[in-house]
Amino acid sequence: MNPILVGPLAVAGISTVLALIIAVLDKLLNNYGEVEISINGGEKKLKVKGGMPLLHTLAAENIFVPSACGGRGTCGACKCKVITDVGPHLPTEMPFMSQREIEGHIHLACQVKVRKNLEIELPRELFSIKKYKCHVEKIHNLTHDIKEVRFALDEGEIDFVSGQYVQLVVPPYGEIKESVQRAYSMSSVPSDTKHVELLIRLVPGGIATTYVHKFLKEGDAVELVGPFGEFRVHDTPAAMICVAGGSGMAPFKSIFYSLHETGAFPEKEIWYFFGARTSKDMFYLDALRELEATWPRFHFVAALSEPSPEEHWQGEAGLITEVLDRYLQTKVPKDTRGWEGYLCGSPGMINACINVMKKNGIAEDRIYYDKFA
Amino acid sequence: MKTSPADKQAFQNMVPGVITAAGFLGDDTRSLERIIEEDGMFFDELGLDFDAVADRLEELQRRGEAGLGEPITVGELLVQSGDARGMLPCPWGDGFFHKNAVSVRPVGIPPESCLEGEDMLVYSELSVHMLRVHHFCQGRGSPFRLEPSLIKRLLF
Repeated sequence: MNPILVGPLAVAGISTVLALIIAVLDKLLNNYGEVEISINGGEKKLKVKGGMPLLHTLAAENIFVPSACGGRGTCGACKCKVITDVGPHLPTEMPFMSQREIEGHIHLACQVKVRKNLEIELPRELFSIKKYKCHVEKIHNLTHDIKEVRFALDEGEIDFVSGQYVQLVVPPYGEIKESVQRAYSMSSVPSDTKHVELLIRLVPGGIATTYVHKFLKEGDAVELVGPFGEFRVHDTPAAMICVAGGSGMAPFKSIFYSLHETGAFPEKEIWYFFGARTSKDMFYLDALRELEATWPRFHFVAALSEPSPEEHWQGEAGLITEVLDRYLQTKVPKDTRGWEGYLCGSPGMINACINVMKKNGIAEDRIYYDKFA
Repeated sequence: MKTSPADKQAFQNMVPGVITAAGFLGDDTRSLERIIEEDGMFFDELGLDFDAVADRLEELQRRGEAGLGEPITVGELLVQSGDARGMLPCPWGDGFFHKNAVSVRPVGIPPESCLEGEDMLVYSELSVHMLRVHHFCQGRGSPFRLEPSLIKRLLF
């Protein structure tokens, strides 16, 4: 044999043997066989094959724990209580855990490997979450960076409450080699059980929003998982003070049109503050003004933070927090029914609005929001 | 140049699907050492300093946050500061950083005709950390690449 070939062939041979040994050991050592996952004190019992992360194991059994990173341990959304001792928390879990959560056996479901029988606790609402196959019925450009996407369910119906969200399953595309999921509030009304509408703003560098804005076409098949979330109208007589910007419009569109359609909570006055930078970033203006004109308890305040003189903007100007403060101090009636806050937007916007609301007498436990970050 | 074990591990963490679905290397086929070395040379040629650039990016992020999620004018720039859920570890393993995306573009170019990487810088807290500490601008084609010539044109 040519001596030049001996070295490479020997290396290749040793590598192959090592790879085979690793494969055999993996099969032997990581074969956990069938294990049982007991949920909520035995309310549900699953017989599953061990070896996979808890998040994926549950999803394979149609129990969908919220997750926005596909199980890489970077979103911190898939928290659940694992009563069985699974060892100390991993370093990847620690940034998402408070001391109280650590002591309470809260783990990230994506970081817990199912190696033995497990006893866990999950919110009961998760049992009703489903994966829906659907197709894109219509895509409408609302602004240069916000699209309204309407999905038609291929089968079944979705039962949700206005304010809840779904996770859009983004398939591999372009350089993205694996599926990811991202959460979006539904803007459609619950009575339309065969459709889901989402408002999706392009985030520079964002994987899911780039897919929607640059790749998704009408007719495409996609999957949605949901509904999730606790954001909803509370059954009190208090006036709703609602604030949003950009695609934060979505849950409010669903809430307002649903309330208008059903006449629910008739004693509630509704004030809606919506902020954008310029009139090019504003959308649904005519529809919401029309709603305001025909629905006496609905009050719509649109504000631009940087209107240019050429726009001839007639509405409010300033950051939405400044406009909100002015209205709460001088225009929104104060009566015995009180106020409660509803917010949808970036964490910065939500925190700033909470400060304004608290300053104007709204108790923090009566300010509701879904922080997507 | 010999690759250090830390750089070797970091490079493995940068491929798509490990820390983020898109990874940090884009379609760049160069080694990590070469990316860092060549961008370092560009920084020198352009008279840029890693700490000064990182300081400027952090300042713009802070000022962008005043827009409450909407774009806000900062001098000749339009800055939008947004957050996503969760935290990302640095590929070198020296910290966790909030997931966010800050975009910086010239006020004069209409947003709809602004191209990422050509007219617009996009970065995150992790991008700034990697730039400041590891002198890593990310690979060409990465959505969060901090292109030295664009940094010079937009920020200095």
